[in-house]
Amino acid sequence: MEQETGIKYREPLTKGELDVQRWRNTQVGMWAWIWQRISAVAIIVFLGLHLTLTYKPVIQFLLLATVTFHAALGLRIILLDFNIVNVKYQKALIAGLVALGIVIFIIIWTRIY
Amino acid sequence: MSQKRIINIFRYDPTTEEKGHYDRFEVAIADESKTTLLDVLFQIQKTEDSTIAFRYACRVSMCGSCGMVINGHEGLACKTIIGDIKAKEITLRPMNHFPIVKDLVVDMDPFFDKFKQALPYFDNPHTAGAPAIIRPDSKEREDIGLSTECIACGCCVSSCTMMYHHPEYLGPAALNRAFTLLADSRDGLYDQRLIRVMSSCYNCRLEFNCTDVCPKEISPTRAIKYIQRCALKEPFRKIDPRQPAVEVHPVIEEQAAGNPEFSRRRFLKRVTYGLGAATALALGGVLASATIGPSIRRTPKQWLRLGGLEAFAPGQVKTISVHYDVMDGFYKSQKIKPVMVYRGLDSNDLVVYNSRCTHLGCTVHWDDTKHIFLCACHGGAFDLNGDVKAGPPPRPLDKHNFKVADGNLYVEMS
Repeated sequence: MEQETGIKYREPLTKGELDVQRWRNTQVGMWAWIWQRISAVAIIVFLGLHLTLTYKPVIQFLLLATVTFHAALGLRIILLDFNIVNVKYQKALIAGLVALGIVIFIIIWTRIY
Repeated sequence: MSQKRIINIFRYDPTTEEKGHYDRFEVAIADESKTTLLDVLFQIQKTEDSTIAFRYACRVSMCGSCGMVINGHEGLACKTIIGDIKAKEITLRPMNHFPIVKDLVVDMDPFFDKFKQALPYFDNPHTAGAPAIIRPDSKEREDIGLSTECIACGCCVSSCTMMYHHPEYLGPAALNRAFTLLADSRDGLYDQRLIRVMSSCYNCRLEFNCTDVCPKEISPTRAIKYIQRCALKEPFRKIDPRQPAVEVHPVIEEQAAGNPEFSRRRFLKRVTYGLGAATALALGGVLASATIGPSIRRTPKQWLRLGGLEAFAPGQVKTISVHYDVMDGFYKSQKIKPVMVYRGLDSNDLVVYNSRCTHLGCTVHWDDTKHIFLCACHGGAFDLNGDVKAGPPPRPLDKHNFKVADGNLYVEMS
C-alpha cells in the first residue's frame, strides 16, 4: 500500500508500452478483433461512398470485400458466443470462415460482373 | 557448451526514477534446455547486479508469483525454459495494468481487489452438513474442467487490453473464478455472484489474449462466454424457492460516482445516438427519394416521326407502334407504344390518341366496322372525338402533342 510504505509506485504499464516485442507476439485472436474493428469503420466509409457515387465497380468491390470479411469474423463471434463451436477452435474458425468468405465473395463478384 | 544470451530487464527504482528504463545483461548459460528464466534471474542477481528485484516462491509453476512479460508475451519465469526462446535477446518487463513497485515486482492489490468482488469462495448458507457430491463424469464437472487450476498469477489480466479501457472490468482471472463457482450446483451464492459479474462479463472483446498466455492453459475466454450465457438465461431461470433472493448491489454502482469511465460511457452513448441518427437520415433520404423520386422526376420528351402525311388517309384511323428508348437511371429500356392517328375529312384535322384506356390502362383498338375505339378489358368505348361512349372510363382518351414539319408527322413521347 502506497500510503503505508511511502514507496512511490510507477503507474501501470499498458500493452506495448516500452515493449518492442509486443506486436510481433500478438496472436491471431487479437488480430481478428482489431481487423474486424477496422473493417467496421471501412464499411461505414465505403457505404457512404456507395450511396453518393452509385454503381462504381471499384467501390462496390471494396464494399463487398469489407462486408464479407467483417461478416466472416462476426459469424465466428456468434458461433463462439452461443457455444455452437467450442472456443478451442477459435483460430481454425478465423481461417475457415475467412476462406469461406473469400469463396462466397468470388462467386458473388463473378456473377455480378 | 555454454552459450551467451542477452537479457534486457526493465528497471524501476522508486526513489530515483519516474518512468523506468532497460538494463542489458549478458549471461553465459551452461545448458539452455535445463535452465529456466528464473534460474537466469538468480544468476544475474548473484553475479551481475544484486539490486535487481523480482518475485518468486515455489519455482515449479504452482504459486503464480513470477508472472512477467517475456518478449512481449506473459508467462511464468519458472516455467519458461531458455532453450524454448528462439529470439537471441530476451526482454523482461513487469506485467501490464499493475502499479510497479520495483523492477519486475508489481503491486497485486488491484488484482485481488477485483478477485474479491467476484466472491471467489464456495459458500452455501442454505444447506447444512456435507455438500452434495458431483460425479466426475457429469456434464457440470466437465464444463468446469481444469478452470479451477488457476494460480492467480495475473498473466491473463496483464494480457487483456480491456483492463486498460474499462477500469471497472473485473478481468479474466476473477471471471474465471466466478465461472467455476457459477457452474457448481452445490454453491449457494449464484445470484449474488452473477449480479457482480454481470456487467463485467460483457467487457470481453474475444481477443483470446488471456487464453493464449495462461501458464496453466486455462481459457478464461471460455469462462466469460459461460457467464454471458448465464446472464442471457437469467430472466428465464426458475428461482429455487428454498433459496430466498438476497439483495446484493453490484459493486460497480457504488464506485460509479466520480468515475471517469462513466462520462466516457455517456460520451459513447451520445456518439452512438448521433451515428444512429445520421445513418437513419442517410438511409431515409435514399428510400424517400427512391419512393417519391419517380413521380416528381421530369422525364425528357422526345419527338418521333410517325411517317409522311400522305400515309394517313382522310377520314381514317391508323394505329402505329412507336419504338423509342428511355433512360431509367443507368438502364436503357426500349418502349413500344401504339398511338392512333385520326385524320379528319378536312385534311388539316389531325388527332393523335394515346392508346391507353383511361379506365385501367389496357390498350384501346380501333374497330373499323363500328367506327369506335374499343377497350377489350371492360368494354370501354370512345368515339372519334375521344369522348366516352360506353363503359367505365372516367374521361376521354388522352391525346399526344404532335407537329407537322416538311410533310412529316411527329409525335411527342415521354
